[in-house]
Amino acid sequence: MNQELKFSDEHLNAFVDNQLGTQECDEILTAIATDAELGQRLCELRSAKELVRHAYGRVPNSRRPANRHFSIWSGALAASLTLVVGVLIGWLGHQSATAQESPGATAAWTARLFASEPTRILIHLDSSRSEQMDAALDLAEAYLAKVGNARVEVIANNRGLDLLRARTTPYAIRIAGIKSHYDRVGFIACGQTIARLRGGGEDVALVPEAAVTRTAIEHVAERVQQGWTYLKI
Amino acid sequence: MNWLQSREQRELMEQMRASRGRLYRVAFAWSHDAALADDLAQEALTRGLSRIDQLRESAKFMSWLFSILNRCWIDHLRAQRRDVDDESLTELPSDLPGPDIHAERQETVNRVRSAIAALPLGQRQVVTLVDLEGFSYAEVAEVLEIPIGTVMSRLCRARGSLRELLMEQVAAQPRLRSVK
Repeated sequence: MNQELKFSDEHLNAFVDNQLGTQECDEILTAIATDAELGQRLCELRSAKELVRHAYGRVPNSRRPANRHFSIWSGALAASLTLVVGVLIGWLGHQSATAQESPGATAAWTARLFASEPTRILIHLDSSRSEQMDAALDLAEAYLAKVGNARVEVIANNRGLDLLRARTTPYAIRIAGIKSHYDRVGFIACGQTIARLRGGGEDVALVPEAAVTRTAIEHVAERVQQGWTYLKI
Repeated sequence: MNWLQSREQRELMEQMRASRGRLYRVAFAWSHDAALADDLAQEALTRGLSRIDQLRESAKFMSWLFSILNRCWIDHLRAQRRDVDDESLTELPSDLPGPDIHAERQETVNRVRSAIAALPLGQRQVVTLVDLEGFSYAEVAEVLEIPIGTVMSRLCRARGSLRELLMEQVAAQPRLRSVK
């Protein structure tokens, strides 16, 4: 029997990739014993697979040296990463202080924050939805007013960067007002998001109150390591 | 901070920490651009962190993370090619320059990378996810948000093209001549 008709290339690829059941594998193995051409086809497919793995076994180094500035992915900071994401999970698990959650839960979440009164909070915004921008600024302003010595940072990345872009933000005046009233507040823009936008040909000018950090994720990790309380809006 | 005590969460975090190199390698295999691959891996992790509450099954963590990488890659391409939709993007022939042949002296590696770079994007993604990451076809379907049949057909075409391209290059190489 002509095995080419019996076993399609897709079938043979699935065999090479270990995606077939036991019975189908047995059929092919049995056929190989009497069909040298089939064996050759399988050999070529397996070779192609091995070549791909070989070709990317060693890739050029990432441009980020392990010890440059701050690399949260270095082994030494594994513990802080655990903390970062632990906090993320913790807050997100409780939080969902967004449109999806009931007002009661949001109130409880906010109440918990205000009751514990951490002295440094980092508010992370990655959405350009106006209600989330509002929530970030509302929280920052309310917290600064409530806790006299608190330091507050609002960090924006991805679409959230719109909050700090001069041309897109609906809150330029409000941001300027908060900043002039409280010197303990910072507005931080993600440098990676800016670079990506500029790479796409966009002109990215920020409001004068904004500072730029290399990447949002690194900034978050650094702040959490320093003991800041992280809040994702 | 009792949420740190969950064993599942600790394992998830360890996976997150360890996954950067894997994301980078696959992003490099898709783009053949170290700086871009670095950005894509970083962006995928950033998005992953901010959306980790959306991960319902920790067993699917890696495919979830790679699906975010895929979305970052598509977003990047869309920013470059605003004139095409997602489906057409996967069929675009590569306009990459290909790896710099002179940068490395590993001839086989460069030849295979050139062959991969020449594949249409959709095929390049499938073959690298299967061969480099060892994802099952079902997982690749999840990562790329395509039917499993499409995964199989793209893989089949990719390996067929790779085989042809590699054979052509081997045939085109100057042969040794015997010297009397």
